[in-house]
Amino acid sequence: MVTNPPTTADWNALAVGLGEYKISAQPQDVLVAYGLGSCVGVIMYDPQTLVGGLLHAVLPQNTGSDQKNPAHYVESGVPLLLNELIQAGANRYRLKVWLTGGANMLGNSPGLARVLNIGERNAAMALTSLAGLRLPAPIQEIGGTTGRTVRLYIGTGKATLRMMGRPEREF
Amino acid sequence: MPVDIPVMFNEELRGLLKIMASEGITHAARGFEGMIGIPLRVSEPQMRLVPLSDVPHLLGGPETEAVGIYLRAQGGIDWQMMLILDYAKAFELVELIIGEPRHPADGLGQLERSALGELGNLTGSFFLNAMAALSGLEARPSPPAVMVDMVGAILDVVVATYGGQIGRHVLMVQVAFVSENREVQADFWVIPDPAALEAFARKGALNDGH
Repeated sequence: MVTNPPTTADWNALAVGLGEYKISAQPQDVLVAYGLGSCVGVIMYDPQTLVGGLLHAVLPQNTGSDQKNPAHYVESGVPLLLNELIQAGANRYRLKVWLTGGANMLGNSPGLARVLNIGERNAAMALTSLAGLRLPAPIQEIGGTTGRTVRLYIGTGKATLRMMGRPEREF
Repeated sequence: MPVDIPVMFNEELRGLLKIMASEGITHAARGFEGMIGIPLRVSEPQMRLVPLSDVPHLLGGPETEAVGIYLRAQGGIDWQMMLILDYAKAFELVELIIGEPRHPADGLGQLERSALGELGNLTGSFFLNAMAALSGLEARPSPPAVMVDMVGAILDVVVATYGGQIGRHVLMVQVAFVSENREVQADFWVIPDPAALEAFARKGALNDGH
């Protein structure tokens, strides 16, 4: 049976907060990570089973912090997202992958920019983790000095980006 | 494991920080008075502790457009301060401190950024220096960084440098800048370093009533 994608009014936005991930196979769901700065957003989507997931990771890896949540870190969050998607019915060989975030919010501040290059490290770790899992190279928009909101529309498999003062656009 | 701030945040410390915040903000207001020649006073600061994860919601949501002024101290004290203002409110504050009309549609130019940076600098440096004097630890404040972006992205700076501890608490200082005929509310988010608070306790600064 072929179903039509949901209309705009039917979309159900699910916010993915700091250190969280969400998986969905509900066509009306939109997974959203609002205002990613140095954090990264990793999306994986199976266009056949219409199962998708979004990870909103904060730091590259756990270096001994008491914060144990694996989705908090890129290094552990990326494999977690993949495994959960497979559990939910996605096929890893069909996955489409997007990567965004990793901005250097203090990039215009000479005294602080180099000290706090967490965005750059997050993005690098995400690329390393994805490659290590033999996933396809992601569609990516990373770095820069501005925040981004990323959305995944489960019903259509469309990913979008929005930056401050600009309209939402296809990613 | 580091101790979270509420554990150490007794009434005495709260009072002490309130005095420092109040003096820091008053100091900033006096600095601007001297520059603009118009009386500028500040209301008594209101302070409370909030979990870092609640901050975006208190500011209208993570996608809300805002201006963040960030300072960091390094040395013996690793202390951060973020002044976050609603985008439109930031322009009101700029109008207040430079004494000329400004409109958000014109964007935040170099002059506006400098004025806001200076506000953060005057307030934060005083606060940080007071912390250093009380704890006996060295603190070297950074130059202020002014960001115009979504609240979530601005907050990432604090979250990432705080070891990603989103369950931890920040100190919110709410204050109003008041000139002849207008009042602008501003929120400061201060992220104290538990090590510095421990140093206060060790030095007995809290018990001596300083």
